Amino acid sequence: MMKKILLFIKSKLFLFGAAGVFIGLLFSLAMYEGLHRTSDDKFCIVCHEMAPMVAAYHNDVHGGAGKTGIKVTCVTCHLPHDNVLAYIATKARNGVVEGAIHFFGNPDAIDWHANRANKEHFVEDEGCIGCHTNYKTNTNISAKGLKMHAHYESLKNTDKKIGCASCHAEVGHHGLKSMLNYYKPEYPYYNGKLDKQKEEVEKKLSETLK
Amino acid sequence: MRSKKTLFSIGVFLLLSAMSLIGSEAATPSPAKEIPISAEMKEKFPIKAHHAKLSLKCTDCHENQGDNPENFKLIGDEGCLSCHKSKVYLAERLKFMDTLHVNPHNSIHDGPKLYCDECHFEHQKSDNMCLSCHSNDVKLWMRETP
Amino acid sequence: MSKEMMSRRDALKLGVLGAGAAMLSASQAMAAAPTEKDVKFDEEYDVIVVGSGFAGLAAASKAAERGLKVLILEKMGRVGGNSVINGGAFAVPNNRDQKQFGIEDSAELFIKDALKAGLGINHVEMLEVIGKRAQETYDFAVKCGATFQAGKKPTWFGGHSVARTIVTSNMSGSAIIQPMAAFVEKLPGCKLMTRTKFDDFVMSADGTSVVGVTARTNYRFDNKLLSDDVENKSGEKKVYRAKKGVILASGGFSMDKVYRQLQDPRIIPTQDATNHEGATAGAMLKAFQIGALPVHIDWIQQGPWASPDERGFGVAPLLTQQGLFVKGVAVDVRNGKRFMNEMADRKTRADAEYVILHQDPKAFPVAIGTYNTFDEQVYAAVEKGLASGVMKKFDTLDALAANYKIPADALKETIKKYNEDAKNGVEDQFKKQSLKDVKGKEAIEMKGPFYGIRLMPKPHHTMGGLKINVKAQVISANTNKPIPGLYAAGEVTGGTHGASRLGSCAIADCLVFGMVAGENI
Ligand SMILES: Cc1cc2nc3c(=O)[nH]c(=O)nc-3n(C[C@H](O)[C@H](O)[C@H](O)COP(=O)(O)OP(=O)(O)OC[C@H]3O[C@@H](n4cnc5c(N)ncnc54)[C@H](O)[C@@H]3O)c2cc1C
Repeated sequence: MMKKILLFIKSKLFLFGAAGVFIGLLFSLAMYEGLHRTSDDKFCIVCHEMAPMVAAYHNDVHGGAGKTGIKVTCVTCHLPHDNVLAYIATKARNGVVEGAIHFFGNPDAIDWHANRANKEHFVEDEGCIGCHTNYKTNTNISAKGLKMHAHYESLKNTDKKIGCASCHAEVGHHGLKSMLNYYKPEYPYYNGKLDKQKEEVEKKLSETLK
Repeated sequence: MRSKKTLFSIGVFLLLSAMSLIGSEAATPSPAKEIPISAEMKEKFPIKAHHAKLSLKCTDCHENQGDNPENFKLIGDEGCLSCHKSKVYLAERLKFMDTLHVNPHNSIHDGPKLYCDECHFEHQKSDNMCLSCHSNDVKLWMRETP
Repeated sequence: MSKEMMSRRDALKLGVLGAGAAMLSASQAMAAAPTEKDVKFDEEYDVIVVGSGFAGLAAASKAAERGLKVLILEKMGRVGGNSVINGGAFAVPNNRDQKQFGIEDSAELFIKDALKAGLGINHVEMLEVIGKRAQETYDFAVKCGATFQAGKKPTWFGGHSVARTIVTSNMSGSAIIQPMAAFVEKLPGCKLMTRTKFDDFVMSADGTSVVGVTARTNYRFDNKLLSDDVENKSGEKKVYRAKKGVILASGGFSMDKVYRQLQDPRIIPTQDATNHEGATAGAMLKAFQIGALPVHIDWIQQGPWASPDERGFGVAPLLTQQGLFVKGVAVDVRNGKRFMNEMADRKTRADAEYVILHQDPKAFPVAIGTYNTFDEQVYAAVEKGLASGVMKKFDTLDALAANYKIPADALKETIKKYNEDAKNGVEDQFKKQSLKDVKGKEAIEMKGPFYGIRLMPKPHHTMGGLKINVKAQVISANTNKPIPGLYAAGEVTGGTHGASRLGSCAIADCLVFGMVAGENI
């Protein structure tokens, strides 16, 4: 009996193999789709308190504002890419934490402006380097830029390590500081005086995210 | 005939690639070398926290000024802007302040045209120029000049 | 604490310092302007303008428009001196907006007003040029890109018998300065150099005419020095030839700690002023050295609308001149009574305030009004004044009186009388001219809220300077004739406004005579 089955399988090896591959592909497609659909601004903003960040992202070359219209998803820069498991784990943890803050916590208490002092902690450098592979040699970068990138390199793996965002302060989010201020002014003097700007941003945002 | 043409193009291609290689090679600098600096000098010329955080060295700013700190000169706008891009760019980053006409990088009086070191000093306390006429308002409009 | 005592001590210090400096540099003290034989020119231009304020840029714009190659030298890092921090109020006698709003005006009326404020010592021929050419000059400024709040009812400034002042689009002289600087810089062969200090004139070989200047590039003004002009040695020396001549437009000297105190010993070095730090006398003194005639040097105008509660010019001058002073009152805090015509000329008002402050240096008078006293043009500044604490807002007069320690009943009585007179069209005790407008109405609306600003005069405009003729040529004391190759315009010149300049007439003066210099050179 066993033998028969084996034989059967053997005779239809190709078919089985194909089925296996197919199922595997289907799985990864689902996985891929799952991860993919949960990777862009439209998904992330459901839980994350990030309207101004998304608005600023839409004004940035990384958010489709460039000539090519290329868009980099949130997770490209904001989640680790060194291995899939870490990626999924971070994603899941973030999801739970942010969801909890969104639904049960007090998002207003988040001090965006203060958090920007640690901006490099919110950006995964591998994400940047994944595209900007030649950041150390690209001749379109100014001499000073290349020198600073070499400086960055020399600090890697030391306790003085810096991140891409340490210098590229608003990377990925063009006009971030202003955008954050439209939502939550840094100085009380501006309270209530930037509402018109905020309204405009909200309007545009709801259109783009439709 | 045809093969000659192909050969020629391949030759040109290879040459160009080689050139580009040399080009990019030359453009890959090594980080500025650390120059010895006495504790006394360090105290005399402290640097701003946001620059210290990046572990910048004297020669990152004082480029091509030799390696004797005693001879270092002001780096001027050009020096600052080699990292900070342009005055218009810096003004744009504080765009929300334009709403109330208090953007220090795009003031009503001067636009994005002031010298950096009219207000910002790396080795001593910065001095907000707006204060000379707006002594009371500046603290409402913006933080202390970094 | 008596100001006089302090001033004497400081004067003494100044004397000692002066003596020391003189001993150190006896040779420098003798230095005369170099001649073209002594120098090698680094660059050559048709016209060299010293200073980038209204006068300098109007002169440069006009000359450049005529096709001349112009170099503007500015010692500060920023362009525009006092002009770029100025309040943007430009008196244009007999202007189009006046006609639109049915305000009758004429050049003659303007001259009459100016003479009254100037105590009759004005050089009338200069006022005539302003009266005649202000509207044309305004149009020229607009052509160069300047922007104004045109089409609105003109603003009424103290000492003017009618409203004739037009305000720039952003309530600052920068709405004239920035576009004008860009206008000149765009024209071929023209250049504006900041942090470049004019040091001296270069004379023709026979010593009679001006043919160029010596200057220093990469100059850094140092506000910590008592006299930047004398002590500052920064920068690299350059010599420029001016084929057609030099236009001196270096502004006034309200911030010259040494020179202003020599003219008026009450103005001690630490005294705050409304001016930019670079408003010093050095360039003007160089012109005197080559023979220029000085006029009215010791008439230093102090701004009666400034506040001790902020540094420099600040916001108080806008909120008083175009607000509280027009329909509101200023009172002596000790008795709650008015003590001046709030719309008189500056000298009359500053003197009246000084009478109080000399009796009690802490008894800063208070300007009081309601929201309806503010001109539409300054609404934006109202909130700034409140937020910065320079102006305070009160629901009742009692609260206001309590805050400034004014006897409340006396204050209420003052305002009641003031309002009644205005309503009935009765001329008040100080003959305030702007009350004609509120006949039949409440001048200060009693429903409040009430606003208050403490007052203290600050040095603002130096009336005196070089004597120029109606072609903006500088007159020599040696010949009583123009010095060939030397023109001047703006606050560095003297005589035009006599003892005291009316508000918003400096822009008129500087732009008109700047333009005249640019035409004639
Ligand atoms: C705060 C303030 C508000 C005012 N508001 C009004 C107003 O609303 N309406 C009105 O009519 N008037 C007003 N005035 C007066 C008026 O602004 C000035 O009288 C006028 O700006 C003078 O113009 P100017 O071109 O003669 O001199 P400035 O504008 O002062 O320009 C002279 C320039 O010459 C430069 N300079 C001096 N010496 C040298 C040198 N050796 N080498 C190179 N450069 C030199 C100075 O740095 C300065 O930039 C105001 C003044 C102040 C201070």
